[in-house]
Amino acid sequence: MIVNSLAPQPMPGAAASTVDLTKVYGSGETRVTALDGVSIAFREGEFTAIMGPSGCGKSTLMHCAAGLDTPTSGSVRIGTTELGGLDDRQLTQLRRDRIGFVFQAFNLLPTLTALENITLPLSLAGRRPDPQWVERVVSMVGLSERLGHRPAELSGGQQQRVAVARALVARPAIVFGDEPTGNLDSRAGAEVLGFLRGCVEELGQTVVMVTHDPVAAGYADRVVFLADGRLVDEMAHPSPDRVLDVMKSFAG
Amino acid sequence: MLTTALRNVLAHKARSLMTVLAVCLGVALVSGTLVFADSSAAAHRAAASRSFADLAVSVTPAYSRSAPDQPDVLTDDLVQRIGNVPGVAAVLPSAEGSAVLNAADGKPLRVQQGRNQAAGYVPQRHPLVEGRAPAAEGEIAVDRGTAAAGGLRLGDTVTLATDGPAMTARLVGIVTTQDTRVTSGGTLTVLDRATAQRLFAAPGHYTSIDVSAAPGVGEHELAQRITDMLPADRAEVTTGQAMADQQAIYVGTLTRGYQKLPMVFAGVSLFIGSFLVLNTFAMLVTRRTREIALLRAVGATRRQVVRSLLLEALLIGLAASAAGFVLGLGVASVLPDLLSDAGNELPDGPLVIGARSVAAALFVGVGVTVLAAWLPSRRAARIAPIEALRSAAHPAARPRLRAAAGIGLLALGVGLLVSLAGSAEDASEENLRSAMLGCGILVLALIVLAPLLVRPVIRLTGRLTRRFGVTGVLAQQNALRDPRRTAATATTLLLSTALVGGLATIGTSTGQALDRQAADGLAADHVISTGSTMTGIDPAVVQRVAATPGVRGASAIADSVAVIGGKVREISGVDPAGISQAVKLDFVSGSLQDLGPGRIAVSSSVAAETGTSTGRSVNLRIGSSESFAPYTVVGVYRDNPAARDVLGARDEVQRHSYKPGSVQRILVSGDGVSENALRTAVGNNPLLKVQDRAALVREAAGTMSELLTLMYGLLAIGVVIAALGIVNTLAMSVTERTREIGALRALGMDRAGVRRMIRLEAVTVAAFGTLLGLAGGLFGAWAVGALTGGAMKQYTLVLPWGTLALLCLSSLATGAIAAAVPARRAAALSPLEAVAEG
Repeated sequence: MIVNSLAPQPMPGAAASTVDLTKVYGSGETRVTALDGVSIAFREGEFTAIMGPSGCGKSTLMHCAAGLDTPTSGSVRIGTTELGGLDDRQLTQLRRDRIGFVFQAFNLLPTLTALENITLPLSLAGRRPDPQWVERVVSMVGLSERLGHRPAELSGGQQQRVAVARALVARPAIVFGDEPTGNLDSRAGAEVLGFLRGCVEELGQTVVMVTHDPVAAGYADRVVFLADGRLVDEMAHPSPDRVLDVMKSFAG
Repeated sequence: MLTTALRNVLAHKARSLMTVLAVCLGVALVSGTLVFADSSAAAHRAAASRSFADLAVSVTPAYSRSAPDQPDVLTDDLVQRIGNVPGVAAVLPSAEGSAVLNAADGKPLRVQQGRNQAAGYVPQRHPLVEGRAPAAEGEIAVDRGTAAAGGLRLGDTVTLATDGPAMTARLVGIVTTQDTRVTSGGTLTVLDRATAQRLFAAPGHYTSIDVSAAPGVGEHELAQRITDMLPADRAEVTTGQAMADQQAIYVGTLTRGYQKLPMVFAGVSLFIGSFLVLNTFAMLVTRRTREIALLRAVGATRRQVVRSLLLEALLIGLAASAAGFVLGLGVASVLPDLLSDAGNELPDGPLVIGARSVAAALFVGVGVTVLAAWLPSRRAARIAPIEALRSAAHPAARPRLRAAAGIGLLALGVGLLVSLAGSAEDASEENLRSAMLGCGILVLALIVLAPLLVRPVIRLTGRLTRRFGVTGVLAQQNALRDPRRTAATATTLLLSTALVGGLATIGTSTGQALDRQAADGLAADHVISTGSTMTGIDPAVVQRVAATPGVRGASAIADSVAVIGGKVREISGVDPAGISQAVKLDFVSGSLQDLGPGRIAVSSSVAAETGTSTGRSVNLRIGSSESFAPYTVVGVYRDNPAARDVLGARDEVQRHSYKPGSVQRILVSGDGVSENALRTAVGNNPLLKVQDRAALVREAAGTMSELLTLMYGLLAIGVVIAALGIVNTLAMSVTERTREIGALRALGMDRAGVRRMIRLEAVTVAAFGTLLGLAGGLFGAWAVGALTGGAMKQYTLVLPWGTLALLCLSSLATGAIAAAVPARRAAALSPLEAVAEG
């Protein structure tokens, strides 16, 4: 069941897109093709979930699309910027200015307070935070009371909310989430997903999230399914039940 | 357990290497110095027995109490008679004494008590390598080393002096010698026999008669036979073996000082290095908490955990000792080159590797490592099996106990030093020892308190690092993350900075005090001196100096010793009329007006110690006079190095001088008098020193140069070990923070930023150690300096700004440079590390 309705060319209005993206690890006997000619576009203001069984290449797709990993072949664009020609410094700058990240393990800096963690991307860029924007992001994730605390003094859900605020603070073109609810209980997970949904709706933020949880995928506008390094299916306006059905079909 | 320990050592090669290097440095210095000492002692012994190889018995004149003025009996006649003693194979009479000579540039060459040998030519003793033997007065030969050091060549006219006026002679030959007094940095002048006899004995007399034995005749047997035939009380007999032993001991004492400095370096480097070992093992234990807990959970006993860590330390210690010993052999083979100067060398010989050196290397290397690992291993034993299940290890800190202990020690150290500074009058051995103890306690207190001081001090330095933006903030926060680790890493720099800063301050202060002392109280512009009361300056020389163009005044002073109040003091015989323009005398009471026969002036400290004052009478014995005589004190002057302890009338001092009628110093006043003109005026006599005020100051400061070497050596050792420690700690920290650094890279910190962050952290740690060390060192210097101030009036605390700045700069640079490798490794981490599993 190969679906080819996905745009093969970068299209206007895409916050990020890949064309024929291939990623191969190792060589010889240990050669593993993680991505095999994936072309996909993430539309502006859309919340996309990437799903698939373990080892299907969904994380690799996100790493390559976010400029964390370099593809073996094919092209990746953030907006209209082709990542292939960028050196490490330019890639770093691009991540800093145009991409937001939410990691599974939160990855807050333990030595910085919540507020310092949130404004870290701006500090790294040497930019002054816009106080109104920071205020808005912080209040949206409901952290106004805990800004002076260190990560060790926050619960897992609170830490991930700090991470969401951090991802939004630089007004990135796109926010990538790598199993953002993977380390959270279901209540905290729902909270975080609510915030991600909220920032798509209120701020028009583009969000791409890798997840294996059908409930999490239910928050997205669209779900794309990967298997063995290829795009195999896609679903608009998903519900957890329908997503689960598709996932079951892979298992079978 | 051995396999576990071995695996651990090998698994962390880089970290083990740092530890090995730090210990190895100290071991190398210890074993190198010991091997060098053994080798040079063996070489000295060999050289000494070579030069006395064919000597069975030596006959020398004996001082006769009953007839002191009778000429000695070592004449050709005695030589003949000894030759007829049965068992004597050969007789070798010699006339020996001392002579100093000028180098080709006109400066006295290697003038040093007991090392400026002179002898009448004896073919067997002085094998010629160039030219011919001196045959008449006015001809000399020198040994190869002397010629090389002085730039002397055959045919040169050489100025020399034995104990009086200068003479000139033509260099006609170059010889070799096995006399270790000469080869270890002295000079040898070979004269023709008649001249040597005239100068050192009397015409036709010798200073010694050396006898070699026929085969089968023992030294002692021969000595007895010769003693029997010698006139009683007029000559002495010594065996060759005894003389060789004596000379080896004598030369040994001359060179023993060489070992002191490397040993101090070795001690300090081991002491500092032990902190690095301790820190490494402490970090290892923290990192391996989970692993150790797991071992405990599956049934390892506490004792096994401790033993496994100590075994690991033992292995590292063994490796360090072995590497250090090999490096030490290198040190031992270059030390002689470092310690000898042009032309003359320490006696050559193979490296002697004694059991003592090997044992010391092993003992020191293994001992320091195992001892330093002991504390962390005890902590490891306290890890509970449950830790294996906890996510993050939080080592239980006991800051209160630490604070109490640290503050207690600090109070003790500071109290001791302050009370010493307040009450102690002099730098007596006992006071100095207390001061050392105080400094030691102070440093210990700083080491104990350091983890608690990390927060406030680094907050302070953070004001500077914050200027680097968020990288600076992160660097500061990282340094603050584990105060104990930061403090332990900084300890090496703390120690070296305290040592070097303290020494530099004391040294500079003492040096400047000596400078002031040397020039204070002297009004004259040049000083010509013999440097000994046993040699004198001719009155004719004084006339010539006074007549030198530009000289306004030349005040001749006769120096001798005087016994007053049961102590030997230095007395200067002066001409009261001329002395005031040469020496700045400041009279507390009385004046020089009445100085004359039977009337003296004394310095205020002599007056205080003997309880005398102006107008009173004291008993005094001057120079060679046999008995005490009463003298009237006509004045008391403030202590003045130029005026020595006691001033007397010149005629009177000269009468009792060891060189009757001579003077020992000429104080020359007059601007623009050239040193060369004065040298010419004194006939270029190598016995005489011609110094201007600057040279006098330099001579006084010369004693400080060893301190400088010590200081810079310590600085180098401290910096090297500190660098190793910083590399070690940062490497460990980077490994621990892999995920965090990955996240920073993902969030947009570029590689340069990561490098800067790690470097700033290293510099912060270094700055912490430096600040604490400086505080401790300067306080110690102030306290010890107060003692010195009691002994030296001119002492004031002088901060050597240049050296201190250099010290700080080198410490900070150490941090930055040591961070290079860990920083590069951190920068190479991929942002994907942030999302890596686990």
